[in-house]
Amino acid sequence: MSLEVRGLHAGYGRLAVLHGIDLSAGEGELVAVIGANGAGKTTLLRALSGLLPVTAGTVHLAGTDVTGYGPEKLARTGLAHVPENRLVFPSLSVADNLVLGGYTRRRGPASARAEARDRAMALFPRLEPRLEQAAGTLSGGEQQMLAIARGLMAQPRVLVLDEPSVGLAPRLVGEIFSALGQLRDDGLTLVVVEQNARAAFAVADRVSVMDRGRVVLEGDPAALSTDPRVSGGFLGGGFAADADADAAPAAEAPGGTPVVPRSGSGATRATERT
Amino acid sequence: MTDLLQLLFAGLSQGAVYALVAIGFVAIFTVSGVINLAQGEFAALAGLVAISAVGSGLPLLAAVVLAVVSVALVAVIMERLVIFPVKRMTTLVSLILTLGVSTGLKALMLLVYGPNAEGLTPLTPGGFSVAGVSIRYQELWILLIAGIVSLAVYWFYERTLAGKSLRACAEQPVAARLVGISLTKASLISFLIAGTVGAIAGVLASPIFFTSWESGLTLGLKGFVAATLGGLISVRGAVLGGLLLGVLETLTAGYISTGLRDAVAFLLLIIVLVARPAGIFGRSAEARV
Amino acid sequence: MAGRPVRRLPRIGAHSRRSRRGDVIGIAVVALLMLALPLIASSSVINVGVYALIYALAALGLSLLMGLAGQVSLGQAGFFAIGAYTQAVLVTKYEWSGLPASVLAVAVTMLAALLVGLPLLRLRGHYLALATLGFGVIVTVLATESDFLGATSGIYGITKPEMNGRTYNSPTEYYLLLVPVVLLGLWLARNIVESRIGRALGAVNDSEVAAESLGVDAFRLRVQVFVLSAAYASVAGTAFAHWLGVINPNAANFPLSVKFLLMAVLGGVGSVYGAVVGAFAVEGLDDGLRRLIPELLPGAVGEVQLIGFGILLTTIMIFLPGGLHQLWTGARRRMAGSAPEPGDDEEEIHLEPVADDVPLLAREGRPAAGTPLLEVRGLTKRFGGVTAVDDFDLTVSAGEIVALIGPNGAGKTTAFNMISGAVTPTAGEVTMAGTRVEGRKPHVFARAGATRTFQNLQIFTSATVLGNVMVGRHLRSRSGMLGAALVLPARREERAVEESARELLDLLGLGEDADRLAADLPFGRQRLVEIARALALDPDLLLLDEPMAGLSGTERRELARLLRRLRAGGMAIVLVEHDVEAVLALADRVAVLEDGVRIALGTPDEVRHDPAVVAAYLGVEPEDGAAAAVAEAGAP
Repeated sequence: MSLEVRGLHAGYGRLAVLHGIDLSAGEGELVAVIGANGAGKTTLLRALSGLLPVTAGTVHLAGTDVTGYGPEKLARTGLAHVPENRLVFPSLSVADNLVLGGYTRRRGPASARAEARDRAMALFPRLEPRLEQAAGTLSGGEQQMLAIARGLMAQPRVLVLDEPSVGLAPRLVGEIFSALGQLRDDGLTLVVVEQNARAAFAVADRVSVMDRGRVVLEGDPAALSTDPRVSGGFLGGGFAADADADAAPAAEAPGGTPVVPRSGSGATRATERT
Repeated sequence: MTDLLQLLFAGLSQGAVYALVAIGFVAIFTVSGVINLAQGEFAALAGLVAISAVGSGLPLLAAVVLAVVSVALVAVIMERLVIFPVKRMTTLVSLILTLGVSTGLKALMLLVYGPNAEGLTPLTPGGFSVAGVSIRYQELWILLIAGIVSLAVYWFYERTLAGKSLRACAEQPVAARLVGISLTKASLISFLIAGTVGAIAGVLASPIFFTSWESGLTLGLKGFVAATLGGLISVRGAVLGGLLLGVLETLTAGYISTGLRDAVAFLLLIIVLVARPAGIFGRSAEARV
Repeated sequence: MAGRPVRRLPRIGAHSRRSRRGDVIGIAVVALLMLALPLIASSSVINVGVYALIYALAALGLSLLMGLAGQVSLGQAGFFAIGAYTQAVLVTKYEWSGLPASVLAVAVTMLAALLVGLPLLRLRGHYLALATLGFGVIVTVLATESDFLGATSGIYGITKPEMNGRTYNSPTEYYLLLVPVVLLGLWLARNIVESRIGRALGAVNDSEVAAESLGVDAFRLRVQVFVLSAAYASVAGTAFAHWLGVINPNAANFPLSVKFLLMAVLGGVGSVYGAVVGAFAVEGLDDGLRRLIPELLPGAVGEVQLIGFGILLTTIMIFLPGGLHQLWTGARRRMAGSAPEPGDDEEEIHLEPVADDVPLLAREGRPAAGTPLLEVRGLTKRFGGVTAVDDFDLTVSAGEIVALIGPNGAGKTTAFNMISGAVTPTAGEVTMAGTRVEGRKPHVFARAGATRTFQNLQIFTSATVLGNVMVGRHLRSRSGMLGAALVLPARREERAVEESARELLDLLGLGEDADRLAADLPFGRQRLVEIARALALDPDLLLLDEPMAGLSGTERRELARLLRRLRAGGMAIVLVEHDVEAVLALADRVAVLEDGVRIALGTPDEVRHDPAVVAAYLGVEPEDGAAAAVAEAGAP
């Protein structure tokens, strides 16, 4: 298994959000995690990449126990996290964003860095003519592509993505998900957290459905898409959801103040709260 | 006309010192959001260390190097002891902490070096006069070295991986951590930069403006005003802000009243902050460092 | 885009109801100790005590500024000096007697603080701190430059105060003269902290935009606290001038401002009495170090005691950010044995089952249903090159529910923020009940009878649920700083406010949670608290930003029923919502935004079948989730 999560508990201060998550992804597998607002999807990824402390449970990355690793160490070990809202470095050029994506490999062979970059460019040819442009001037879709490309520059074993479709026109969503499919076909392990279940179902090998901090359903997309709980409950928008502590960035959550749960998805914030 | 030229020149060399102090504010603020109230003390301490080293017989250049290195070390120690342990760094906490360090350093300087103001030996003593404008060699040194240091800092942020990684921390701390950049290391480096440029400012200014245990207060304040004029997040803005402030101060002192000299900075600060909080050179928040 | 997240100012020792009772005990203990000192101490110690009492007043003012307004001033000594100089001038040059002179001195200082505060308090955090530091420097410069004020040597010959034929000459006498002044200062400060003003300022500290949306004029209150804080400093200054007999530019010195800050921080900014404790501790330390250091280091001259101040400031902030007050409350809590709050996180809220159409919160004077309340014309917002909202028009009338929907990033929240005054539009106008509100602060919007809730909740985390809702009554009560300080007129009003807030909480099923800290509530209830808080304003128009998000199915249904009842009561409601199904069932009219442009406006039925809307949700993939929701919800 490239990524194996057992009984993961995590939360913000006193507010527990994840109550024992099990999740695994084999090499070259694309696993989608879907769920309504507040299901705990973003919290899961933040715990996976070390942004949030894990209160119980284990995480293994390619056989290594990485539970409790900080994000810097995890990045070196081979986990790349493409965060919600893309979070590109706006005043830096696209090229510099990519260079920083390979920060953990800065002492590695230059040929490997060049190769990673060529692969990213081949995946997102739109970025090529914009290399010298400041990343903040890119469109939302291009920023998402850049965020993924930046993640790939770390030459990861596992790439986890937080809602790559958010705020994008359907055509771009298709483009991004087909790129993810291509990465999977090249042997990369991917975990994609999504609200856009249709897009996720189209490319995923396996799907986990989260609700209120637990994985409630798991299976292959074909079987799940006909499951009444998924199609009726989730896609109709009425999936019962409670304590959403998903999207609160750490910087806004000073310790001691329980993180105020927020809803809505990233793009709304990225573009509307500038 | 000669008066004006004389004042402008004096203002520029004074402003170059402010610019260096301002760069220190910018370096730390962008990475950790901390306004380092001890920034002026870095400069004062460097001046006093150099003066006492020369006094104890060290060659001038060695004394200057010793001063810069030891102040850089002080800045790094300060970061480890005072900034690093704090989990929740808020504005109020950071102000009080750095104020504490500033006060402690001041008292330490008073205890070690005594209460008197002194000037370091100039790098090149004397001066000359062109078209009625008298110029000291030390002023030329100030302009030259401040220019070189500013360019070096600018180059560091624009061209090197380490510099870019600091900018990344400033712009998107979460994403910076995700690509493997350590925020605590970045904070340490930013203090190292601030200590170094602050110390250089201190030894450059000392021969002309003199140094005492207290001189860090106004120098730090002026540096902050300069950094704020430049938007607080831009090296280029800090340099321009410093030069502008220096020139305005000497013009005020020359044409209006010497006593009002120190008031100029704060009037300027208030006007700029109320009218253009992003600084007068800042185009927008996206142009960082 | 996406700059550094705004760093919140801290609330050192936030006020919950519990810690406030501690204050009363604290003040009583401090009062006893203050009175006991002259009985047990030697004259030289009492002399230190005199300075401690004088500085305690200035530190108390600073502590109020920091604790209530969340602002730090590094120029408190500037106001101290203005008070002292004014007193000295009046007494020595115009031969006023001490008491009337001090009244004028305080008034002059307050005026100066007002003039300084009006521009400075538009600044926040770092800027304010450095600007006040600059102010202190300017006062020193002016005093040094002014011959009228005696330049560097200052003003001499200020006599000790005389009252009823008695001269307060000895340290003990002066000390006993000052004790009642300090106690009075403590009492006034405590009353303000506990008042409507204190509550509003606490709310501003927790979430300025939310407090503003409830009608709190944060800037105005900050200026008031700043002036008040200067008043305390000036009282200290006048006492200082009389005791020392001479006043010189050192009185505005930066180290003195640092000392005041240290006193406030050491005592604990969240507590009122802390400043007094801090003053005694710091003065004792000051005196001790001044003696000790020259003994240890022969030849040490000048303000060597600063080394202790520096170390103390730093270590307190790292190890004991709540100051001595934190130790005290910690000890008390340990003695009392901590009782953990019940954590019933999974519990849902059940309102009284009432029919959907029973009006709620109808009141006299509410605009008749159908009266246009909110008019939005050509509202536009550009961020850099991106147009988030483009030429948006909307009219909302009393007694209707209007929904604003659209895909992620369509500009819904930006439109909301512009309408409520949190964000200044690039172009366009917003009129609420006849008042132009665009580009003005949210409290203007609130005064016009409208308020809002927030997508990412903006609960006042340091207040109880009741406290949160009481802030909502801010505009429905009026006691000001002075009334609050003197308690008498404010007390009855406070009771009325509390009563109406409790009624509202009962109405929303939150009555049992009234005295819990709002931050301890589960998410669904926090949303309800926010709505209750907004309703406490008694608004004619309520803006709700994604009220359903994160609520369970039952909670959603309860909320929908509540909104219907409010509509029946004549309130106008605008909501931004993701949950298309819920919106179409609830709203009278629906506006659809895409890429900042209003692509449709009509009844739910019209919108449901509008080809532009279907396209916006469908994109090129006909089986997109949200589109399916529109289609499904539309099916009979």
